[in-house]
Amino acid sequence: MAHSKEPKKFLVGIFDDEDVLIPAVKKLRASGVKIHEVYTPYPVHDLDVYLGYKRSRLSKAAFIFGATGTLLAILMQSFMLGFSWPMNIGGKDHLAYPDFVPVTFELTVLLAALGMVATFLISNNLGPGKQALMFDPRSTDDKFVMAIELEKNHQFTQMQIEELLLQHGVSEKPKEKEV
Amino acid sequence: MAEGPKLTIADEKMQFEFTPRLRRKIFTTLAFGLVLLLAGIGLEAAGVFAGGHGAEEHALLGGGGDAHGHYHWTKRLWANLWLCCVYFTGIALAGVFFVSVNYVAWAGWSALIKRVPEAFGGFLPITFVLMLILFFVAGHDLFHWTHEGITDPKHPNYDAIIASKAAYLNVPFFLGRTIVYFGLWYLLFAYFRKLSKKEDQVSDYRAYLENPTTYNRRVYFSAVFLVVFAVTTSMAAWDWVMSIDTHWFSTMFGWYNFASWFVAGMATITLAVIYLKESGYLKLVNQHHLHDLGKFMFAFSIFWTYIWFSQFLLIYYAHIPEETFYWEPRLFGHYREVFFLNLFVNFTFPFLALMTKESKRTTIFLKIAAIAILIGHYLDFYMMIMPGTVGDNAGFFLLEFGTLSIFIAVFIFMVARGLAQLPLIPKNDPYLKESIYFTQF
Amino acid sequence: MQVTSPVREPLVLRRIHEEKGKPTTYHDVTNDICRQVEAAPNIRWIIGMAISLIVLGWGSYTLYRTWFFGIGEWGLNKTVGWAWDITNFVWWVGIGHAGTLISAILLLFRQKWRTSINRAAEAMTIFAVLCAGTFILMHMGRPWLAYWALPLPNTYGSLWVNFNSPLVWDVFAISTYLTVSLVFWYIGLIPDLATIRERAKNPVARFIYGLLSFGWDGSAKTWARYEMVALVLAGLSTPLVLSVHTIVSFDFATSVIPGWHTTIFPPYFVAGAIFSGFAMVLTLMLVTRYVFKLEPYITLGHIESMNKIILLTGSIVGIAYMTEFFIAWYSGVPYERYAFINRMFGPYWWAYWSMMTCNVISPQFFWFRAMRRNIYVTFALSIVVNIGMWFERFVIIVTSLHRDYIPSSWTMFWPTYVDVGDYLFTFGFFFTAFLLFAKFLPVVNMAEVKAVLKSSNEDSAKHYIEEVPAKEEVVNSSLSSEKTEER
Repeated sequence: MAHSKEPKKFLVGIFDDEDVLIPAVKKLRASGVKIHEVYTPYPVHDLDVYLGYKRSRLSKAAFIFGATGTLLAILMQSFMLGFSWPMNIGGKDHLAYPDFVPVTFELTVLLAALGMVATFLISNNLGPGKQALMFDPRSTDDKFVMAIELEKNHQFTQMQIEELLLQHGVSEKPKEKEV
Repeated sequence: MAEGPKLTIADEKMQFEFTPRLRRKIFTTLAFGLVLLLAGIGLEAAGVFAGGHGAEEHALLGGGGDAHGHYHWTKRLWANLWLCCVYFTGIALAGVFFVSVNYVAWAGWSALIKRVPEAFGGFLPITFVLMLILFFVAGHDLFHWTHEGITDPKHPNYDAIIASKAAYLNVPFFLGRTIVYFGLWYLLFAYFRKLSKKEDQVSDYRAYLENPTTYNRRVYFSAVFLVVFAVTTSMAAWDWVMSIDTHWFSTMFGWYNFASWFVAGMATITLAVIYLKESGYLKLVNQHHLHDLGKFMFAFSIFWTYIWFSQFLLIYYAHIPEETFYWEPRLFGHYREVFFLNLFVNFTFPFLALMTKESKRTTIFLKIAAIAILIGHYLDFYMMIMPGTVGDNAGFFLLEFGTLSIFIAVFIFMVARGLAQLPLIPKNDPYLKESIYFTQF
Repeated sequence: MQVTSPVREPLVLRRIHEEKGKPTTYHDVTNDICRQVEAAPNIRWIIGMAISLIVLGWGSYTLYRTWFFGIGEWGLNKTVGWAWDITNFVWWVGIGHAGTLISAILLLFRQKWRTSINRAAEAMTIFAVLCAGTFILMHMGRPWLAYWALPLPNTYGSLWVNFNSPLVWDVFAISTYLTVSLVFWYIGLIPDLATIRERAKNPVARFIYGLLSFGWDGSAKTWARYEMVALVLAGLSTPLVLSVHTIVSFDFATSVIPGWHTTIFPPYFVAGAIFSGFAMVLTLMLVTRYVFKLEPYITLGHIESMNKIILLTGSIVGIAYMTEFFIAWYSGVPYERYAFINRMFGPYWWAYWSMMTCNVISPQFFWFRAMRRNIYVTFALSIVVNIGMWFERFVIIVTSLHRDYIPSSWTMFWPTYVDVGDYLFTFGFFFTAFLLFAKFLPVVNMAEVKAVLKSSNEDSAKHYIEEVPAKEEVVNSSLSSEKTEER
């Protein structure tokens, strides 16, 4: 979430229950409301699908990082023991490939894991010192917080959106917040 | 998640019908297999393949050839039949094992399909009878240690190493063990079917749970089955497969065979579920269930590779002649191509084909992967059994293909018969609803 | 919609310590788990910490002797050149398998009971692997040259490392395992750290937890990716867990020493590792559960499930012992046969029989449900199992070495007080680290417990029977939605 200088106006709806939240998300989206984001205390199953987010490509990133690890590991071991300084070890070939499997496997996993996690942190703007944008602090405790940006929903008045939220089961009166 | 048309359990065909059409297909396959087998036997008996290979290689192979180093074409037939017996016994057993594991682990997703693998056990009596007959007819051709005088120091056939194993490898004990394995497996399988029948007799799952003995017994005896399975499959692998190369030994061997059997069993379950679904049964089984079956095939293909590689690496690394001679014909001899093909079909192919989420949910991918895995593990057992029995005379042609077709036809026949005996949907399974509503993460 | 079968036990119970009779809410979960992070340390914690520090102090003294005077301070000799230290190393690495197993393999197998124990188990894993690493550094004698184990160019003082050596594989396996476990654990901690950050009243705490929580906001998009990361990490960690103890077993099995060279070692070591790891998790969690009053979250059902895994892995280990024993006989190799007879009836018979009793016989009690659900039995057996697993490694390592091919070099190994002290050092470190973790970080994964709370609390079983009519099974069909349900 990039912060622009000018504060934006949001309407914040608070839900108590995921089984109320999900129908509400579906119906709000069906009636044309653009939801900025929903903040939840735990991963709500398929919420991203209902919000219309694309499936994350992180697993593909992991595969690419992993394949890089495999390749690097094979090249490194072949170069060191096969070309740079060949040694006779137990009468085996200099390039004893079965012996290279364990290290190759480990480096594959290491690169895949670290690469994917780094991608995840960077793409979600997470890291030490980053500031979270919290619409309501209770969204890390027990509330499901829906933020709707008013500017992006010109076709509705603020009242109409509030009305819709109330219809679909928010537990408190929707409040305004400027960010 | 788009809303599809709603399905209810009322839309489900509860009972599998063993239609005449399926019967016809099975018998066609059987007849086809028989023709091929006879043609193969004809070719062998006429000596078409006999010229090319000598029999001298047997000096290398601990158990290869018989004591006199002769090769007779019937060996190829016996070895093939034995191979199919071992392989299909494992698949049948893996079905019962899979259901038992699911009971013990409180798995919910598999309730809808549990009757399918459960029916696999019905095939066991066929291989039991066939293996006993084979052992009597062709024991000498398959098992070097059954030869006369091999434990007798005065006899020209005497082999000191085999003599030291005679307390375990002797005909009565071997037969006794095989009978005990099949006896235990079949008894437990029959008992499971009985409990399944009982499960269907109560009015609904609440009644089933209120009188919990049937369900609890099923879980309890599943655990018993797992213990029996763990011990007997290891021993069966030593008896039926490892003792072919009588001098050779590997502590991993039982678990290695288990891995091969289990992944082949998962592939068979997947194929059976897809077939039933395409024939209009199991409508409630959706891509989430298929995804899980795909995951099992994927994961256990990797597990098999892990076990295979660990065994290979340790022998390769330590380089002790008592062990490495086993790899000689396989890695450097007649079987070199099969050796690498085996690794490719059992590891590389399923690994790449089943890696993505989409491929595990697409029936055509699953079918291709499952068939590849089944071929791959046939090759795996081929690699274990052939070098020690027929040595360099092994091949894959009419004889092998015919035998396989016959076994496939009989296996499908027995499983279809078993499926038709009980409802396909276990309507009182306490996890049924979990299974129906099941979604992946 | 999540449906939970009425057969399943609820994963979250009503709280017994306060507000009896009310269903547990999300807010209760937050309060119960954050309580000990926010409150001052209690007296039991302080006593535990004091003991751990004393043990650590004594261990530090013997470690100083090990490094200053050299490993001649240990009881090793020419015949038994590997004994106590490697036993402890393998023991700790083994214990370090439970955490990642719980968070990776049990995640893939959708065992939801892992949610309330995975955090502590993973923390324990990390500390145990660090303890294992300590023994490698101890044995190096010159720990300042430890970097020679890395593949550095020859000009740095050594040759390239030998990639044919299982010890080098170990370097890669253990460091990869430590790194990935640490990352997995920390990714799981981030959402909970954000919860603590939002609750913190003290600005210093708010700043520190703010820094640690990486600016987590809990948006649906982040959660979706987070779940993807967790799933892929689980997929990567599953073979990783297997590989680590496999490679540790290669240290022995690639050799030609009777009793060490046997192909079953890799999977059997892995089973043993999971066995001892779960036992250690139980030992720690039973205490934590009691001290932090976590009974609603770590229920008897959780303990029962863990005991089942102990029974399973203990039995696998038992079968492996017998397989080894049988194949040693079957092989017809006199050295193999001797090695196993010597284990049973040789001078170290007591170690062998301790191992058999603790590892194979004691877990068989868990066939009985009453035993699996008895906290005292579980606690006692969890300690017995780890004693047994220590003896297992001791038996494998020492009995195989102490009878050399030349009878004139046959000898015994006895540890010195420095050996014992070095072992105590790792205990001191392990418990100090675990206590610090338990005080400053949430010991239960709040977010994951909340995710299963609704479908699996004490009241949801009734919910299943009464509110979902048995005949109204309505689902999204598969055949037609196969294409539409692309995510």
